[in-house]
Amino acid sequence: MSDNLEQLFVKQLKDNQNIIHKICRLYTNDDDAHKDLFQEITIQLWKAFPKFRGESKFSTWAYRVALNTAITLYRKSTRSIATTSYEGQKHFLPQEDYNFEEEEQIKLMYQAVHQLNDIEKALVFLYLEDKDYTEISETLGISEVNARVKINRIKGKLKKILNP
Amino acid sequence: MEELDLLKKAWQKDSHSYEQISEVEIYKMLHAKSSSIVKWILIISLLELSLGFILSVVMSFTKYDTRNSDLLKKWNIYELYIGSSILVYVVVFYFIYRFYIMYKNISVVDNTKQLLSSIIKTRRVVRNYVIFNLSTFAVIFITIFSLGLYHGYIDAMMQNGIEHPVIPVKNAIICLLIVIVVTAVLTFVAWLFYRLLYGILLRKLKRNYEELKKIDL
Repeated sequence: MSDNLEQLFVKQLKDNQNIIHKICRLYTNDDDAHKDLFQEITIQLWKAFPKFRGESKFSTWAYRVALNTAITLYRKSTRSIATTSYEGQKHFLPQEDYNFEEEEQIKLMYQAVHQLNDIEKALVFLYLEDKDYTEISETLGISEVNARVKINRIKGKLKKILNP
Repeated sequence: MEELDLLKKAWQKDSHSYEQISEVEIYKMLHAKSSSIVKWILIISLLELSLGFILSVVMSFTKYDTRNSDLLKKWNIYELYIGSSILVYVVVFYFIYRFYIMYKNISVVDNTKQLLSSIIKTRRVVRNYVIFNLSTFAVIFITIFSLGLYHGYIDAMMQNGIEHPVIPVKNAIICLLIVIVVTAVLTFVAWLFYRLLYGILLRKLKRNYEELKKIDL
Protein backbone atom coordinates (compact mmCIF):
# COMPACT_ATOMS: atom_id res chain seq x y z
CA MET A 1 0.00 0.00 0.00
CA SER A 2 1.34 3.41 -0.90
CA ASP A 3 2.78 5.81 1.62
CA ASN A 4 0.29 8.41 0.50
CA LEU A 5 -2.61 6.24 1.49
CA GLU A 6 -0.96 5.56 4.80
CA GLN A 7 -0.43 9.25 5.43
CA LEU A 8 -4.02 10.04 4.57
CA PHE A 9 -5.29 7.30 6.82
CA VAL A 10 -3.16 8.28 9.78
CA LYS A 11 -4.30 11.86 9.53
CA GLN A 12 -7.98 10.94 9.26
CA LEU A 13 -7.71 8.58 12.15
CA LYS A 14 -5.89 11.09 14.30
CA ASP A 15 -8.59 13.68 13.70
CA ASN A 16 -11.37 11.18 14.38
CA GLN A 17 -9.79 9.24 17.20
CA ASN A 18 -12.33 10.31 19.79
CA ILE A 19 -14.93 8.08 18.16
CA ILE A 20 -12.70 5.12 18.83
CA HIS A 21 -11.83 6.23 22.32
CA LYS A 22 -15.53 6.46 23.12
CA ILE A 23 -16.15 2.93 21.88
CA CYS A 24 -13.16 1.66 23.85
CA ARG A 25 -14.49 3.40 26.93
CA LEU A 26 -17.81 1.55 26.63
CA TYR A 27 -16.34 -1.84 25.84
CA THR A 28 -13.33 -2.09 28.10
CA ASN A 29 -12.72 -1.97 31.81
CA ASP A 30 -9.16 -0.73 32.16
CA ASP A 31 -6.48 1.29 30.44
CA ASP A 32 -4.64 -1.70 29.03
CA ALA A 33 -7.73 -3.15 27.45
CA HIS A 34 -8.64 0.30 26.17
CA LYS A 35 -5.31 0.61 24.36
CA ASP A 36 -5.54 -2.96 23.14
CA LEU A 37 -8.96 -2.48 21.61
CA PHE A 38 -7.90 0.87 20.16
CA GLN A 39 -5.03 -0.86 18.42
CA GLU A 40 -7.19 -3.69 17.07
CA ILE A 41 -9.74 -1.18 15.73
CA THR A 42 -6.92 0.78 14.09
CA ILE A 43 -5.63 -2.38 12.40
CA GLN A 44 -9.10 -3.32 11.16
CA LEU A 45 -9.76 0.21 9.89
CA TRP A 46 -6.45 0.22 8.07
CA LYS A 47 -7.13 -3.18 6.50
CA ALA A 48 -10.50 -1.97 5.26
CA PHE A 49 -9.28 1.50 4.27
CA PRO A 50 -8.38 0.70 0.62
CA LYS A 51 -12.07 -0.08 0.09
CA PHE A 52 -13.17 3.17 1.65
CA ARG A 53 -14.27 5.29 -1.28
CA GLY A 54 -15.19 8.41 0.57
CA GLU A 55 -18.87 8.01 -0.31
CA SER A 56 -19.66 8.49 3.32
CA LYS A 57 -17.82 10.52 5.89
CA PHE A 58 -14.73 8.89 7.37
CA SER A 59 -16.39 8.99 10.77
CA THR A 60 -19.58 7.23 9.58
CA TRP A 61 -17.51 4.52 7.99
CA ALA A 62 -15.32 4.24 11.06
CA TYR A 63 -18.35 3.73 13.34
CA ARG A 64 -19.21 0.54 11.61
CA VAL A 65 -15.74 -0.97 11.50
CA ALA A 66 -14.98 0.06 15.06
CA LEU A 67 -18.22 -1.32 16.47
CA ASN A 68 -17.84 -4.53 14.50
CA THR A 69 -14.36 -4.94 15.90
CA ALA A 70 -15.54 -4.39 19.46
CA ILE A 71 -18.56 -6.68 19.10
CA THR A 72 -17.12 -9.40 16.92
CA LEU A 73 -13.42 -9.50 16.33
CA TYR A 74 -11.89 -8.30 19.53
CA ARG A 75 -10.87 -10.97 21.94
CA LYS A 76 -9.40 -10.36 25.33
CA SER A 77 -10.31 -12.20 28.46
CA THR A 78 -9.77 -9.21 30.73
CA ARG A 79 -12.62 -7.29 29.25
CA SER A 80 -15.32 -9.64 30.46
CA ILE A 81 -14.41 -8.90 34.05
CA ALA A 82 -16.64 -6.04 35.06
CA THR A 83 -14.83 -3.72 37.36
CA THR A 84 -16.90 -0.84 38.53
CA SER A 85 -13.88 1.08 39.71
CA TYR A 86 -12.73 1.95 36.22
CA GLU A 87 -13.37 5.57 35.47
CA GLY A 88 -12.05 5.65 31.98
CA GLN A 89 -8.95 7.34 30.73
CA LYS A 90 -8.00 10.52 32.43
CA HIS A 91 -10.39 13.07 31.16
CA PHE A 92 -10.12 16.75 31.53
CA LEU A 93 -13.13 18.85 32.16
CA PRO A 94 -12.79 22.56 31.55
CA GLN A 95 -12.64 24.23 34.96
CA GLU A 96 -15.52 26.61 34.37
CA ASP A 97 -17.76 23.71 33.35
CA TYR A 98 -16.95 21.55 36.27
CA ASN A 99 -19.96 20.43 38.18
CA PHE A 100 -19.27 17.88 40.85
CA GLU A 101 -22.79 16.55 41.06
CA GLU A 102 -23.16 16.15 37.34
CA GLU A 103 -19.79 14.49 37.11
CA GLU A 104 -20.78 11.96 39.77
CA GLN A 105 -24.01 11.19 38.00
CA ILE A 106 -22.24 10.65 34.70
CA LYS A 107 -19.78 8.34 36.38
CA LEU A 108 -22.68 6.28 37.67
CA MET A 109 -24.20 6.26 34.20
CA TYR A 110 -21.03 4.83 32.74
CA GLN A 111 -20.99 2.13 35.37
CA ALA A 112 -24.57 1.24 34.49
CA VAL A 113 -23.81 1.14 30.75
CA HIS A 114 -20.92 -1.22 31.48
CA GLN A 115 -23.41 -3.73 32.78
CA LEU A 116 -25.19 -3.96 29.43
CA ASN A 117 -24.30 -6.62 26.87
CA ASP A 118 -22.24 -5.95 23.73
CA ILE A 119 -25.20 -5.31 21.47
CA GLU A 120 -26.95 -3.04 23.93
CA LYS A 121 -23.74 -1.05 24.29
CA ALA A 122 -23.60 -0.61 20.53
CA LEU A 123 -27.15 0.73 20.52
CA VAL A 124 -26.34 3.06 23.39
CA PHE A 125 -23.22 4.27 21.61
CA LEU A 126 -25.08 5.08 18.39
CA TYR A 127 -27.84 6.75 20.37
CA LEU A 128 -25.35 8.89 22.28
CA GLU A 129 -23.74 9.84 18.99
CA ASP A 130 -27.18 11.08 17.93
CA LYS A 131 -27.49 8.70 15.00
CA ASP A 132 -30.96 8.34 13.55
CA TYR A 133 -32.77 5.03 13.63
CA THR A 134 -32.11 4.42 9.95
CA GLU A 135 -28.38 4.52 10.50
CA ILE A 136 -28.60 2.50 13.71
CA SER A 137 -30.59 -0.21 11.98
CA GLU A 138 -28.23 -0.27 9.00
CA THR A 139 -25.14 -0.47 11.16
CA LEU A 140 -26.35 -3.38 13.24
CA GLY A 141 -28.53 -5.15 10.67
CA ILE A 142 -31.79 -4.96 12.56
CA SER A 143 -35.07 -3.32 11.60
CA GLU A 144 -35.68 0.32 12.35
CA VAL A 145 -38.79 -0.31 14.41
CA ASN A 146 -37.08 -2.91 16.53
CA ALA A 147 -34.06 -0.67 17.04
CA ARG A 148 -36.40 1.94 18.48
CA VAL A 149 -38.15 -0.59 20.70
CA LYS A 150 -34.84 -1.95 21.92
CA ILE A 151 -33.48 1.47 22.81
CA ASN A 152 -36.55 2.21 24.85
CA ARG A 153 -36.06 -1.08 26.67
CA ILE A 154 -32.43 -0.23 27.32
CA LYS A 155 -33.48 3.10 28.79
CA GLY A 156 -35.78 1.23 31.13
CA LYS A 157 -33.04 -1.21 31.99
CA LEU A 158 -30.60 1.60 32.81
CA LYS A 159 -33.17 3.30 34.96
CA LYS A 160 -33.61 0.09 36.91
CA ILE A 161 -29.86 -0.34 37.38
CA LEU A 162 -29.52 3.23 38.59
CA ASN A 163 -32.57 3.26 40.86
CA PRO A 164 -32.84 -0.26 42.21
CA MET B 1 -34.80 14.06 31.99
CA GLU B 2 -34.11 10.45 31.30
CA GLU B 3 -30.81 9.10 32.50
CA LEU B 4 -29.54 8.19 29.07
CA ASP B 5 -30.34 11.63 27.72
CA LEU B 6 -28.40 13.18 30.55
CA LEU B 7 -25.39 11.16 29.50
CA LYS B 8 -26.05 12.12 25.91
CA LYS B 9 -25.84 15.79 26.79
CA ALA B 10 -22.49 15.29 28.47
CA TRP B 11 -21.34 13.03 25.66
CA GLN B 12 -22.28 15.57 23.02
CA LYS B 13 -20.43 18.31 24.83
CA ASP B 14 -17.46 16.05 24.39
CA SER B 15 -16.46 16.88 27.91
CA HIS B 16 -14.51 13.67 28.15
CA SER B 17 -11.54 14.46 26.06
CA TYR B 18 -9.26 11.52 25.89
CA GLU B 19 -5.53 11.36 25.99
CA GLN B 20 -4.77 11.89 22.32
CA ILE B 21 -2.79 9.37 20.36
CA SER B 22 -0.10 10.85 18.14
CA GLU B 23 0.46 10.12 14.45
CA VAL B 24 3.67 8.30 15.27
CA GLU B 25 1.78 5.99 17.61
CA ILE B 26 -0.86 5.35 14.96
CA TYR B 27 1.89 4.45 12.46
CA LYS B 28 3.21 1.94 14.94
CA MET B 29 -0.24 0.44 15.41
CA LEU B 30 -0.71 -0.07 11.69
CA HIS B 31 2.15 -2.50 11.69
CA ALA B 32 1.20 -4.30 14.84
CA LYS B 33 -0.23 -7.79 14.70
CA SER B 34 -3.97 -8.22 14.77
CA SER B 35 -5.38 -10.60 17.36
CA SER B 36 -8.87 -10.77 15.93
CA ILE B 37 -11.10 -13.82 16.30
CA VAL B 38 -11.30 -14.17 12.52
CA LYS B 39 -7.53 -14.47 12.33
CA TRP B 40 -7.54 -17.21 14.94
CA ILE B 41 -10.33 -19.04 13.17
CA LEU B 42 -8.36 -18.86 9.93
CA ILE B 43 -5.19 -20.24 11.51
CA ILE B 44 -6.94 -23.09 13.29
CA SER B 45 -9.10 -23.93 10.28
CA LEU B 46 -6.10 -24.03 7.95
CA LEU B 47 -4.34 -26.33 10.38
CA GLU B 48 -7.36 -28.62 10.43
CA LEU B 49 -7.81 -28.54 6.70
CA SER B 50 -4.18 -29.32 6.01
CA LEU B 51 -3.43 -31.79 8.78
CA GLY B 52 -5.28 -34.76 7.29
CA PHE B 53 -4.00 -33.93 3.84
CA ILE B 54 -0.34 -33.54 4.83
CA LEU B 55 -0.47 -36.71 6.92
CA SER B 56 -1.72 -38.81 4.04
CA VAL B 57 0.81 -37.35 1.60
CA VAL B 58 3.67 -38.01 4.01
CA MET B 59 2.35 -41.50 4.65
CA SER B 60 2.29 -42.39 0.98
CA PHE B 61 6.08 -41.98 0.77
CA THR B 62 6.92 -44.28 3.65
CA LYS B 63 7.88 -47.92 3.77
CA TYR B 64 5.03 -48.40 6.17
CA ASP B 65 2.68 -47.45 3.38
CA THR B 66 4.10 -50.07 1.00
CA ARG B 67 3.63 -52.70 3.66
CA ASN B 68 0.09 -51.52 4.18
CA SER B 69 -0.75 -51.63 0.49
CA ASP B 70 0.68 -55.15 0.26
CA LEU B 71 -1.61 -56.12 3.07
CA LEU B 72 -4.58 -54.43 1.40
CA LYS B 73 -3.80 -56.25 -1.86
CA LYS B 74 -3.69 -59.52 0.02
CA TRP B 75 -7.11 -58.76 1.51
CA ASN B 76 -8.48 -57.88 -1.93
CA ILE B 77 -9.54 -54.38 -0.95
CA TYR B 78 -6.72 -52.42 -2.54
CA GLU B 79 -8.91 -51.04 -5.37
CA LEU B 80 -11.58 -50.13 -2.89
CA TYR B 81 -8.95 -48.33 -0.82
CA ILE B 82 -7.61 -46.35 -3.81
CA GLY B 83 -11.13 -45.49 -4.93
CA SER B 84 -12.21 -44.20 -1.56
CA SER B 85 -8.93 -42.27 -1.13
CA ILE B 86 -9.61 -40.39 -4.34
CA LEU B 87 -13.14 -39.68 -3.17
CA VAL B 88 -11.83 -38.39 0.15
CA TYR B 89 -9.37 -36.06 -1.62
CA VAL B 90 -12.12 -34.68 -3.84
CA VAL B 91 -14.28 -33.97 -0.82
CA VAL B 92 -11.36 -32.39 1.06
CA PHE B 93 -10.64 -30.06 -1.85
CA TYR B 94 -14.29 -29.15 -2.03
CA PHE B 95 -14.21 -28.18 1.64
CA ILE B 96 -11.06 -26.12 1.19
CA TYR B 97 -12.64 -24.31 -1.76
CA ARG B 98 -15.84 -23.63 0.17
CA PHE B 99 -13.85 -22.39 3.12
CA TYR B 100 -11.86 -20.03 0.91
CA ILE B 101 -15.01 -18.57 -0.67
CA MET B 102 -16.72 -18.11 2.68
CA TYR B 103 -13.63 -16.62 4.28
CA LYS B 104 -13.32 -14.10 1.47
CA ASN B 105 -16.88 -13.02 2.18
CA ILE B 106 -16.13 -11.95 5.72
CA SER B 107 -16.06 -8.18 5.63
CA VAL B 108 -15.66 -5.89 8.56
CA VAL B 109 -17.63 -3.19 6.72
CA ASP B 110 -20.77 -5.32 6.57
CA ASN B 111 -23.44 -4.65 9.14
CA THR B 112 -22.87 -6.40 12.43
CA LYS B 113 -25.47 -9.09 11.94
CA GLN B 114 -24.16 -9.97 8.50
CA LEU B 115 -20.59 -10.04 9.73
CA LEU B 116 -21.45 -12.36 12.60
CA SER B 117 -23.47 -14.57 10.30
CA SER B 118 -20.70 -14.93 7.72
CA ILE B 119 -18.12 -15.81 10.36
CA ILE B 120 -20.41 -18.42 11.87
CA LYS B 121 -21.16 -19.86 8.42
CA THR B 122 -17.45 -20.08 7.63
CA ARG B 123 -16.93 -21.98 10.83
CA ARG B 124 -19.76 -24.29 9.88
CA VAL B 125 -17.84 -25.33 6.76
CA VAL B 126 -14.90 -26.39 8.90
CA ARG B 127 -17.21 -28.10 11.36
CA ASN B 128 -18.71 -30.15 8.55
CA TYR B 129 -15.21 -30.93 7.37
CA VAL B 130 -14.31 -32.20 10.82
CA ILE B 131 -17.48 -34.31 10.96
CA PHE B 132 -16.61 -35.73 7.55
CA ASN B 133 -13.06 -36.49 8.64
CA LEU B 134 -14.08 -38.14 11.87
CA SER B 135 -16.69 -40.33 10.20
CA THR B 136 -14.25 -41.34 7.46
CA PHE B 137 -11.73 -42.16 10.15
CA ALA B 138 -14.32 -44.24 11.98
CA VAL B 139 -15.33 -46.19 8.87
CA ILE B 140 -11.71 -46.86 7.86
CA PHE B 141 -10.74 -47.82 11.38
CA ILE B 142 -13.61 -50.27 11.75
CA THR B 143 -13.02 -51.81 8.31
CA ILE B 144 -9.26 -52.22 8.64
CA PHE B 145 -9.39 -53.41 12.20
CA SER B 146 -12.11 -56.01 11.57
CA LEU B 147 -10.38 -57.27 8.45
CA GLY B 148 -7.10 -57.45 10.32
CA LEU B 149 -8.67 -59.46 13.11
CA TYR B 150 -10.46 -61.70 10.65
CA HIS B 151 -7.38 -62.47 8.53
CA GLY B 152 -5.15 -62.81 11.55
CA TYR B 153 -7.51 -65.38 13.01
CA ILE B 154 -7.83 -67.34 9.75
CA ASP B 155 -4.05 -67.32 9.19
CA ALA B 156 -3.42 -68.56 12.70
CA MET B 157 -5.93 -71.39 12.22
CA MET B 158 -4.39 -72.43 8.91
CA GLN B 159 -0.94 -72.50 10.48
CA ASN B 160 -2.37 -74.86 13.03
CA GLY B 161 -3.33 -77.21 10.22
CA ILE B 162 -7.04 -76.45 9.95
CA GLU B 163 -7.89 -76.36 6.24
CA HIS B 164 -11.26 -74.63 6.23
CA PRO B 165 -11.30 -72.49 9.32
CA VAL B 166 -14.60 -70.95 10.41
CA ILE B 167 -14.97 -68.23 12.99
CA PRO B 168 -17.75 -68.85 15.48
CA VAL B 169 -20.48 -66.22 15.08
CA LYS B 170 -20.40 -65.34 18.75
CA ASN B 171 -16.67 -64.51 18.65
CA ALA B 172 -17.08 -62.52 15.45
CA ILE B 173 -19.83 -60.39 16.96
CA ILE B 174 -17.89 -59.76 20.16
CA CYS B 175 -14.81 -58.69 18.17
CA LEU B 176 -16.87 -56.39 15.99
CA LEU B 177 -18.52 -54.84 19.02
CA ILE B 178 -15.16 -54.18 20.66
CA VAL B 179 -13.89 -52.52 17.49
CA ILE B 180 -16.97 -50.34 17.25
CA VAL B 181 -16.85 -49.29 20.89
CA VAL B 182 -13.13 -48.40 20.68
CA THR B 183 -13.77 -46.36 17.52
CA ALA B 184 -16.75 -44.61 19.04
CA VAL B 185 -14.77 -43.61 22.13
CA LEU B 186 -11.82 -42.31 20.09
CA THR B 187 -14.08 -40.35 17.75
CA PHE B 188 -16.07 -38.93 20.61
CA VAL B 189 -12.96 -37.71 22.43
CA ALA B 190 -11.73 -36.00 19.25
CA TRP B 191 -15.13 -34.39 18.77
CA LEU B 192 -15.26 -33.21 22.37
CA PHE B 193 -11.85 -31.61 22.05
CA TYR B 194 -12.95 -29.87 18.90
CA ARG B 195 -16.19 -28.62 20.45
CA LEU B 196 -14.33 -27.27 23.43
CA LEU B 197 -11.85 -25.39 21.28
CA TYR B 198 -14.51 -23.69 19.21
CA GLY B 199 -16.90 -23.34 22.06
CA ILE B 200 -14.40 -21.02 23.68
CA LEU B 201 -13.50 -19.24 20.45
CA LEU B 202 -17.03 -18.64 19.23
CA ARG B 203 -18.87 -18.11 22.49
CA LYS B 204 -18.97 -14.35 22.22
CA LEU B 205 -19.91 -14.35 18.54
CA LYS B 206 -22.80 -16.72 19.04
CA ARG B 207 -24.07 -14.81 22.04
CA ASN B 208 -24.05 -11.52 20.15
CA TYR B 209 -25.61 -13.08 17.08
CA GLU B 210 -28.42 -14.54 19.15
CA GLU B 211 -28.94 -11.18 20.81
CA LEU B 212 -29.30 -9.46 17.43
CA LYS B 213 -31.72 -12.09 16.20
CA LYS B 214 -33.75 -11.73 19.36
CA ILE B 215 -34.20 -8.01 18.75
CA ASP B 216 -35.85 -8.70 15.40
CA LEU B 217 -38.10 -11.51 16.62
